[in-house]
Amino acid sequence: MMVVIDRSSDEPVYEQIARQIRDCVSSGELPPGTPLPTVRILASDLGVNLNTVARAYWLLEEEGFVRIRDRSGAEVLAPARKPAEQRERLCQDLRKTLARMHQAGFSPEELQGFAEHEIASLAKRLQK
Amino acid sequence: METRITWISLVVLLAIVGGLYFLFPRISRRGLLFGVYVGEEASKGEAARRITRSWYVGMALWLAASFAGAILAGVLFRSIPGSLAAVFLFPIGFLAEYLRAYRRARGLACEEAEPAAAAFIGTEEQKPLLLPNLAMGLGLAGGLYAIGYAWSHYSQLPDLVPTHFGLWGQPDAWRLRSFSTVMLLPIMSLVMGVGLGGVAYLTGRAKRAIRYRDRGVSFEAQQRFRRIMANFLAITSLLVTGMMAILSQSSIRVALKEDQALSPAMMILALILLVFALSGSIYIALKYGQGGSRLEKSAEDLPLTDGLADNRLWVLGMFYVNRDDPSLFVEHRFGLGYTINFGNPKAVALVCGFFGLIIVITIIVVLTH
Repeated sequence: MMVVIDRSSDEPVYEQIARQIRDCVSSGELPPGTPLPTVRILASDLGVNLNTVARAYWLLEEEGFVRIRDRSGAEVLAPARKPAEQRERLCQDLRKTLARMHQAGFSPEELQGFAEHEIASLAKRLQK
Repeated sequence: METRITWISLVVLLAIVGGLYFLFPRISRRGLLFGVYVGEEASKGEAARRITRSWYVGMALWLAASFAGAILAGVLFRSIPGSLAAVFLFPIGFLAEYLRAYRRARGLACEEAEPAAAAFIGTEEQKPLLLPNLAMGLGLAGGLYAIGYAWSHYSQLPDLVPTHFGLWGQPDAWRLRSFSTVMLLPIMSLVMGVGLGGVAYLTGRAKRAIRYRDRGVSFEAQQRFRRIMANFLAITSLLVTGMMAILSQSSIRVALKEDQALSPAMMILALILLVFALSGSIYIALKYGQGGSRLEKSAEDLPLTDGLADNRLWVLGMFYVNRDDPSLFVEHRFGLGYTINFGNPKAVALVCGFFGLIIVITIIVVLTH
């Protein structure tokens, strides 16, 4: 996979890195067990600060997508059932996002269509 | 006889190195023109060709002047310093021609505000580079052995020790024994062995120049090229370590009158080193191009990203200065090989430390001779 940084974007660089890796993990492009480059190598290739890449890896670890290994490398994790407390927090996040989308003008039908579409693509990726 | 061989070697060296420098535009990465990123299309255009033609003419003249000077000084006056001065005319000419071409290429520069940065993440774990690690380890071991050998024989050395040797290894200059005179070669052996091994190691970990959305073609090309380059430098480093360690030990044996001249093994290694380093550089340059660019044929029209594409990060197209970038080594924008990131204090300290040691050793040599 290729990580591309757009420096003119409003999205912080660490978020751009985390988002692209997250997308590739959930699409199966980076299967579980794939080793990610060390913080130093990725920061060097992208020409960004070490802390920026480290922050992206920490975020991904917190979200359960990767496990940080020795020498600052990381490894892609397989989906696993997290503790109830963590799952409840994710449900709360989803509720909050749905409320924000509704507030931004999405109708309940549009929201439902969107959610069904996303769930169907996730199931399709998992079948692959 | 010795003067003639030295003179012929100088002229041959000028022909080989001069020829390689002359051909630098031919090995350039697509999109780059004399240290300036002009974009992939413009680098093939008529304006770029005019600048390149002018470079060939200018360089041919400098090379011819340098040859003529070296041959005249050697044939007419039998003067090695004269030939050497003429040979040094060539790097001056190279710099002048480069700066002229650089200034003209700036007019075609790609002024994109902030080029995208890209990195490729493969699904396979990167293999460690064994040879550069071995070269550093053996460089350290060889240097320490040379120091230990000189140290342990220091008290047995006579009052006069040889400090210079002729082409066939016979001593031809002596000085009073002193610690700096005796330890100079072993210390140099340590610095050069570890230093060159370190360069091979860092080359294997240099920043990669990725092309935008090329599905990993440039990544794979550079992985392969850096492995080749790092191994080439590591073998060069191993030869230097071997040669310097034998030279240190052999000079002590000559001083102790155990041998009449330096070991033939040292001479053989020096010759192998010279042939390997020169022919290897030419082969790598012509076969793989700048930074392995000839291995990325299917992607060479896609734009470069980040470091190599950002003209604002390069001073005179030669010095890469990016404080945010943790890279120590980055690919040259013109020519073969790698340079350091002058915006990284660690890289600057490393190079200053290495050259500082070489300068200190040179000062000791000058003061003790």
